[in-house]
Amino acid sequence: MSATSATSTAARIWAVCAKDATEELRNRVATLAVLFFAATALALTSYAIGPFGLAPEDRPPLQAALFWIILFFAAATGLPRAFVREEETGTALALRKTLPGALVLAGKALYNFGLFLAIAAVVIPGFLLLLDWRVAAPVTLAAVVVSGGFGLSVVSTFLSALTARAGQRNVLFVLVAFPLVLPLLLTAISGTLAATRGGASDAWTPLRVLIAYDGVASCAAYLLAEAAWED
Amino acid sequence: MDTVRSTTLSAEQLAKSFSGTPIFVGVSFEAGAGLLAVAGPNGSGKTTLLKILAGLLSPSEGRVRVEREGRVLSGDERRLAVGWAGPDLELYGDLTGEENLRFFRKAAGFPAETGDIRARLEGVGLSPAAVTRPVDAYSTGMRQRLRLAFARLFDPPLLILDEPYSGLDTSGREIVRRVVADARARGGVILASNDERDFADAERRIDLVGAPLAGGRPAEGRTPA
Repeated sequence: MSATSATSTAARIWAVCAKDATEELRNRVATLAVLFFAATALALTSYAIGPFGLAPEDRPPLQAALFWIILFFAAATGLPRAFVREEETGTALALRKTLPGALVLAGKALYNFGLFLAIAAVVIPGFLLLLDWRVAAPVTLAAVVVSGGFGLSVVSTFLSALTARAGQRNVLFVLVAFPLVLPLLLTAISGTLAATRGGASDAWTPLRVLIAYDGVASCAAYLLAEAAWED
Repeated sequence: MDTVRSTTLSAEQLAKSFSGTPIFVGVSFEAGAGLLAVAGPNGSGKTTLLKILAGLLSPSEGRVRVEREGRVLSGDERRLAVGWAGPDLELYGDLTGEENLRFFRKAAGFPAETGDIRARLEGVGLSPAAVTRPVDAYSTGMRQRLRLAFARLFDPPLLILDEPYSGLDTSGREIVRRVVADARARGGVILASNDERDFADAERRIDLVGAPLAGGRPAEGRTPA
């Protein structure tokens, strides 16, 4: 691929991402649903277990698991809409007529990744304040969140393309997503736990697994995008 | 050789069925410069056929090839060489008409200057005031005009129009006639309509016979000389 065509491809992907962001900023359907879920889950969690409901040594594993459960379900509220909205509103045909499935998927995954980071930007301070979350290695935690969020965004976006035209798309999405996302979430929880305990070296193994997962998920999504998106 | 006028679309033994029910079989023709009319009663598969030609649906059997100077086009070249507008085409309701066209130009890797976009919208009769309104606020006729602008957005040598006169007033119909005439002068137009008057002067036509009756044979495409 020449530099010019790479720039052009990046610009096309960015156009899809920017379009999705513009639409979302105007109707705020996904943003409000996602942020409402994240805020509710945070409030309930802090009320139920709070900073003082558990012994300090018991908190990190539970906090790491709850952190990713909230991130996952908050993301699951908004991420699958990437392609579903195009099918429901009838705009999918115009998109198919304009650019290949792989570029549409890349643009939408990029937008979903931005949405995930926005969710994390709300959830992380909430955890720090409401659950007295102590993070010994913040940079490591950031790396785990970014790499875990990227994989989650790519897989969710691809599955959204795959299930967008199915009759029972919501059920199908959850059924297909569960086995694909479970290894990612378990690894992310492990990396988060290591980051909160301060063992940057302990986090290296889960971080490498997350990066490998991101690579494999991106390649698979790229190769299968046409089959999932085209007729 | 004129590369625009030398672009041709050929359909070979096309068949399409949904859930085992055949819509049409054995449709073959070649479309190049000029107007090709697609006629047939409701349910005969005109819209389905046009979507297959536009690359939006896969045929159950047969194939569609778009060629330019003897070279078969694929990928983006194939996608953008054939403009399409049909009743199923919807653009983004939260975006204005201008934003919609700008997005699709950028997404296709084309420049998207405001002057060019506005000229395209004015070319289909959308006023400067209208193009800055969200598409959700457009009337049926305005949406139809926007669909027409979308079909021509990449200056394709082949234009596929499915019921382009639908929902338009007199001036809108005149604009469609002008668009069809311009496209015929540049390359080819494939036009489907339920109204014979819409393609009275077509160079060629395909008649889709209609949906098969129980136990009967499926519809066939005929291409009278």
